[in-house]
Amino acid sequence: MAEKAEIAAWLTERIAYFLEKQPSDIDPDVELVELGLDSVYALTLCGDIEEHFGLAVEPTLPWDYPTVHALAGHLAETAAGADAAPRV
Amino acid sequence: MIETSNASASIAESTGPEALERLLGDRGDASNPVGDAALLAADERAELPAAGEELLHRYGFNAEFVPVELGGRFTSAEHLMRTARAVFRRDSALGIGYGVTSLIAAVPVWISGRADQQRAFADLLLSGRRASACYTELPHGADFTRDELTARQNGGRLLLNGRKDLVNNVGRSDALLVFARTGQRAGSRSHSHVLVERTELPPDRVTFGPRYHSAGVRGCQLGGVEFRDCPVRPEAVLGTPGVAEGTGLETVMRAFQVTRSVLPGMMTGVVDTQLRTVARFAFTRRLYGRPLADLPQSRAVLAGVFADLLAADCLATVAARGLHLLTSQTVTLAAAVKYFVPVLLQDAAYDLSVLLGARSYLREGEYAIFQKHLRDLPVVTLAHASSAVCLASIVPYLPVLARRAWQPDTASAPDALFQPGAPLPPLDLSGLSLTAGADDLAGTLRAAAMLPRVADDPWLAGPVAALVAELDMLRDRAAALPPRERTVTAGRPGFGLARRYASVLAGAACVGVWHAAPPGSFLADPAWASLALRRLAARLGRDTVPAQRRATATVDERLCAELTDRLADGRACTLTAERLAG
Repeated sequence: MAEKAEIAAWLTERIAYFLEKQPSDIDPDVELVELGLDSVYALTLCGDIEEHFGLAVEPTLPWDYPTVHALAGHLAETAAGADAAPRV
Repeated sequence: MIETSNASASIAESTGPEALERLLGDRGDASNPVGDAALLAADERAELPAAGEELLHRYGFNAEFVPVELGGRFTSAEHLMRTARAVFRRDSALGIGYGVTSLIAAVPVWISGRADQQRAFADLLLSGRRASACYTELPHGADFTRDELTARQNGGRLLLNGRKDLVNNVGRSDALLVFARTGQRAGSRSHSHVLVERTELPPDRVTFGPRYHSAGVRGCQLGGVEFRDCPVRPEAVLGTPGVAEGTGLETVMRAFQVTRSVLPGMMTGVVDTQLRTVARFAFTRRLYGRPLADLPQSRAVLAGVFADLLAADCLATVAARGLHLLTSQTVTLAAAVKYFVPVLLQDAAYDLSVLLGARSYLREGEYAIFQKHLRDLPVVTLAHASSAVCLASIVPYLPVLARRAWQPDTASAPDALFQPGAPLPPLDLSGLSLTAGADDLAGTLRAAAMLPRVADDPWLAGPVAALVAELDMLRDRAAALPPRERTVTAGRPGFGLARRYASVLAGAACVGVWHAAPPGSFLADPAWASLALRRLAARLGRDTVPAQRRATATVDERLCAELTDRLADGRACTLTAERLAG
């Protein structure tokens, strides 16, 4: 599973794609809604996250962790927990 | 004209659609206090019919949407929808003004209220009192995350500041559910619901604004409310204080799946009445030496509207049953039904108005009720979510549906989804999801196309194949939507796909209902389904005129024969053909 920096880079790229901006235009500490990604659209990020990382996440995750850094940090922790847990 | 009105004499001994029909009585009886004449007079005065409110109070209409565990009768969203339809068949203003307004306030309470809040709110409704859901702020419309009315803790009290507008019954409701900002940050975690009783609001801190007047449902009492440092109990926040703050938008997105799924099915009652009214006209009016209904074009209009009304009911029924059976998939289905059923109904109403001619706009005479319904329909369409809002809430899910759900090997829906009135498991409100990824209804369309009884049917094979081809096109185009078309900046491409998708879902619902119908019944006859499907395909620019012209005429004849029978028997032009009181 990816490290936080790697996850953040991927999220930045995804969000830049949605907003049709350059990844360098995405400030990882600015809230997604301020960047232009409104409530429902943030929810759709979860589908991408699930498919890319093979990780089941709460649909409202981007509401609770509303910046790239916050989201990447949470995903890195979740992934570490998932890796540590025994596979069933 | 079978029964005379006994609305004022009897109290509900049984409940449900037909019981409420009997209570409401014969529409055509001039002495019926809730008949057409009285309803038209109330509309002219821009009042809700007092006798209608009184009757629904005695019937205990609010209990229809209070869960059984809390002492109500709510067990099935479909049953609620059909029962309310009896009211909409007569007067949308009464349906909105008495029932739907309180329903919209109630569902968030059932979803995220504390036990004590649910208990008190259920008791309020069961005693026949009213509630209003205060969402709309004129500067923000449906953009709820920017709503400004605030609720902030201050010295052990919660202080409300700000205003809401275009709220039904706000000036006369006993309880208000207020969508309020409880956090300063932008985004989706800064709002909560606040549930207050009117009596706890200090009169000098709250002002109820003047009534808004409207072109349709003129009896509805739309108003505004303004709070100025209005103190309420801190525990008025819906849910557990300290935990519930910030969950408002999530609750809204779940609650609206329920309300948007049931409201369109109620509205089909409007066109049911319009169709019956115009059919009666067409059978009696003589032109060119024969009844109007003997002219092929008149029969084509009546058959087409009947087919569209059945299609609308198929989609509405599937949406209501889907809440129980496809609970995690209704985020998109609810938006699609709230968008598309009103489109079908408004187009049908227009077609009928052409047939009725001048009588479609006269405010007096035998057919005057038609123009009232014609004015009401566009306003009710906007109630609770415009078509733009509904389409916008489908758009972001299109790419994930394309990837995961619209592939050839996807699951199809259970037969029970398509069996009107069949028993349903309880509605699990906690199972309502905010994300999309499955679409078993679209899967049903693909599965149906493979069935020999569809593929070999000369009437059904063409339109079903056309809708499957449409679904394939949607899948390819949705997957390739440019990013700006997947968000609030979507334009014609994104909205266009959402619009077309709704037609495909309606077609899937029709095929499903036809396939699941008991052999030998009217619904098992491919005639209605083929006409409904062909008309849906035609809306998508996929004309599938049968090779033989005779087949079209035969379909029209079968539908007109059924329509004639239903008028003679006093039965509704809906899937379940309820017995009507007049």
